Amino acid sequence: MWKFTVRRLLIMIPQIIALSIVIFVLAQMMPGDALSGMIDPNVDPERLEELREKHGWNDPWYVQYADWVGGLMQGDLGQSFRFKMDVTELIGQRIVNSFWLSLATLLFTYLIAIPLGIISGRYNDTLLDQTITGYTYIGFATPLFIFGLVMLWVFGFMLGWFPTSGSVTPGLEAGTFEYFVSKVNHLILPALSMALITTVSTVQYLRNEIIDTKQRDFILTARAKGASESRVYNRHILRNSLLPIAAFFGFEITSLIGGTIFIENIFGYPGMGQLFLESITMRDYTVVTAVTLLFGIASIVGALLSDIILSLVDPRIRIK
Amino acid sequence: MKKFSFHKLTLAFMLVLLLALAACGGGDDEGNNNSDSSSNKGSEEGELYSIEDFTNVKTNEGEPIDGGSFTYGLVSDTAFEGTLNWNFYSGAPDAEIIQWFDEPLLTWDESYVYTNDGAATYELEGNTVTFTIRDNVNWHDGEPVTAEDFAFAHEVIGHPEYDGIRYGSDFTNIVGMEEYHAGEADTIEGIEIVDEKTLKITYKEVTPSLLTGSIWTYPLAKHIFEDIPVAEMSSSDAVRKNPIGFGPYIVEEIVPGESVTFTKNEDYWRGEPNLDKVTVKVISSTTVVNELESGGVDTVSSFPTDQYPDNADMSNVEFLGDTDRAFTYIGFKLGKWDAEEGRVVPDPNAKMADKKLRQAMWHAVDNDTLGQKFYHGLRWNATTLIPPSHPEYHDETNPGRSFDQEKAKQLLDEAGYVDVNDDGMREDPDGNELVINFASMSGGDTAEPIAQYYIQSWEQVGLNVQLTDGRLMEFNTFYDRVENDDPGIDVYQGAWGVGIDVDPRSLWGGESVSNYTRWTSEENDSLLAKGVSDEAFNLEYRQDIYNQWQELMVEEVPVFPTVYRAVLVPVNNRVVNFAIGDGTGIYLHELGVTQEEPMTAE
Repeated sequence: MWKFTVRRLLIMIPQIIALSIVIFVLAQMMPGDALSGMIDPNVDPERLEELREKHGWNDPWYVQYADWVGGLMQGDLGQSFRFKMDVTELIGQRIVNSFWLSLATLLFTYLIAIPLGIISGRYNDTLLDQTITGYTYIGFATPLFIFGLVMLWVFGFMLGWFPTSGSVTPGLEAGTFEYFVSKVNHLILPALSMALITTVSTVQYLRNEIIDTKQRDFILTARAKGASESRVYNRHILRNSLLPIAAFFGFEITSLIGGTIFIENIFGYPGMGQLFLESITMRDYTVVTAVTLLFGIASIVGALLSDIILSLVDPRIRIK
Repeated sequence: MKKFSFHKLTLAFMLVLLLALAACGGGDDEGNNNSDSSSNKGSEEGELYSIEDFTNVKTNEGEPIDGGSFTYGLVSDTAFEGTLNWNFYSGAPDAEIIQWFDEPLLTWDESYVYTNDGAATYELEGNTVTFTIRDNVNWHDGEPVTAEDFAFAHEVIGHPEYDGIRYGSDFTNIVGMEEYHAGEADTIEGIEIVDEKTLKITYKEVTPSLLTGSIWTYPLAKHIFEDIPVAEMSSSDAVRKNPIGFGPYIVEEIVPGESVTFTKNEDYWRGEPNLDKVTVKVISSTTVVNELESGGVDTVSSFPTDQYPDNADMSNVEFLGDTDRAFTYIGFKLGKWDAEEGRVVPDPNAKMADKKLRQAMWHAVDNDTLGQKFYHGLRWNATTLIPPSHPEYHDETNPGRSFDQEKAKQLLDEAGYVDVNDDGMREDPDGNELVINFASMSGGDTAEPIAQYYIQSWEQVGLNVQLTDGRLMEFNTFYDRVENDDPGIDVYQGAWGVGIDVDPRSLWGGESVSNYTRWTSEENDSLLAKGVSDEAFNLEYRQDIYNQWQELMVEEVPVFPTVYRAVLVPVNNRVVNFAIGDGTGIYLHELGVTQEEPMTAE
């Protein structure tokens, strides 16, 4: 087990190095830079050129890459040109928001997926099951950014149940109970919107898994031994079906990253997804590279996590 | 058996859908092709609006209550940067926030000339301007705003380690500034502190432009910033967390990237503000209308004009309107930029070098119809390169070049652009095939149809115009290629916002890198130079020079303006003393509300 984990961790290192080079070069290849968006007759073009020179943006990419990696080794991701602050501090500000949003989304995802999956798997091919599968198909077909907007319009504006933008009501003092409630209140709608869409694959996965397990021989044995129906479902089937879902968890993290980019932009929720998109359009290189690298690492770690969980669940994985 | 037939039915249904979709697509294409012949009919479908029908000052409906709060929606799809100081900020969203708590020392009137109504007065004598800051102007922490603070702002921006974008011609124009910036001098020779509230600045060149926006008028609180190294100022807490100013409101709480709340500054030099509290919060451009309807915001920093027709009768707001200081234009690439000489070098052999070809391309397009069809009249045909937002200098009598396809064809015939191989398209005077590459930016629903409209208009006079790379370009790519004189671009569609200074040199002068057409001529440079000469202090003389220049550009057409724009700003009915635009004489401390809660739409 440990050998496997260590080997997987070692493979991660060249993956991350390759990723960093690809990200850096791609970012450099983007046309324009952080200053090209500031063409404005009130700003002297010579000043912009002077700044480009000063920041080393005119150097060849490998020189800039070496500088960047040098900083990275010391835990310095550089300074955001646009925000005029350290990227680490900037990301620190945003990642907290994204963390809570992701956590809430995961929570909702499983809160929805597990009961629906079980019902649908247990009573397969009934009207109830068909309704649930119907929902999952609609979920698959609905683009997240449209669904997010509809949710915002219905629950934010029409019914007015939830705040419509930001992560907290302006003017509240950090640390108070009110502040906390407002934070949670701002989280619910975006998290729920995302969970309702991303949960569908988990629902289907769980449903198929349960239907599959139901027909296994050991279930037949359990029934033959006289175990009650609820015992069969809760102890034998559910346990076996949930394990692969747990393994799916790592990949869930990866899909969350994609989702937060849309959701954070629609709900004006300042997290990593929003930061990512706007730093690309604004060509804030240091932020783009740092955020992409972080996302990349998160995906790699997510996959690793899945592999490890899978290997715990299913010993065959460890065999070479 | 039953199931099978169901599948069949589904398949049939899908096929029907597919056909319906295909039919829709076909219909669209047809619509586009016919758009010119039926253009008048098309415009009748949507209602037309005119900027003439809007005012830029809010009608006061009732008396303001004592206190109250006001919410300002900062419309932006990106979080604001949080560089909250005039001397360091670069993004427009930050400026929208800073205006609530800090202000320039000088204000300006409708024609953008500095007045003596602001926090300081000025007097121009020879090349020296003497600034006197009013006695009651204090920073939020009670310290007076002094001449030293004002000089300090210049010292910081001119400092070699300053990392903002504000250092430029406004500063190099100060005697001794370039030496100071290069690190050769410790002080700036041209800046003299006379006493606590008086400062003298000597400029190298005094032009009429100096008094329309070319003076840096933002002091920097020395007692706060003097201990911070210049390179670290923009990221310091004094800028990001506890910003300070001398404006009508004081920053209370900042949620990074999201919102800022303000309380009133009782010590404000113009008098105590009406409102108790102001909140500025970022809202996404997709939810502007809903926020306004629900009273979530009282007004917004910008309103997407294309959403106006659907919301013109929103019951709880009044729409204010003003002519935008901006225009859209089509430019022709006519030369190269010589970086070493710092000059534009026109190329007499450029593909678009024949001015009759360019004139014809202007005559070929109908910008009035375009403005009506795509913008419901809220953008309209542009005539000259000085937009009507500068009424003193915009030449109303100059009609530009009107839509006239026959004239266009005639001009092309005269210039020798005729169809020699009978393919319906004109060849160049040497008989070679002529393909003109047109670059335009993506963004918004109308970018694509507008680009197609221009291409079709040119096709109708026999010119083969193609989109560069066959598609629209994203903003950064577009400017990157236009700036670097990419040979794949012959014609491009761009837009400029113009500063409060009317001087066109920064956009169209021979020494400006932003003159993307790379066109200039002796006459162009000489007229532009005359426009900022000593004689130009005489308004009539300057008007005459700029009229001549506008006429020159209509004749030479290195670029032609396509549409002027309107800005519309909706304001909740409960708001009083609010205006948009310049020189209205209405200041933020007078802003008030007539009831506690914002009105909501019925």
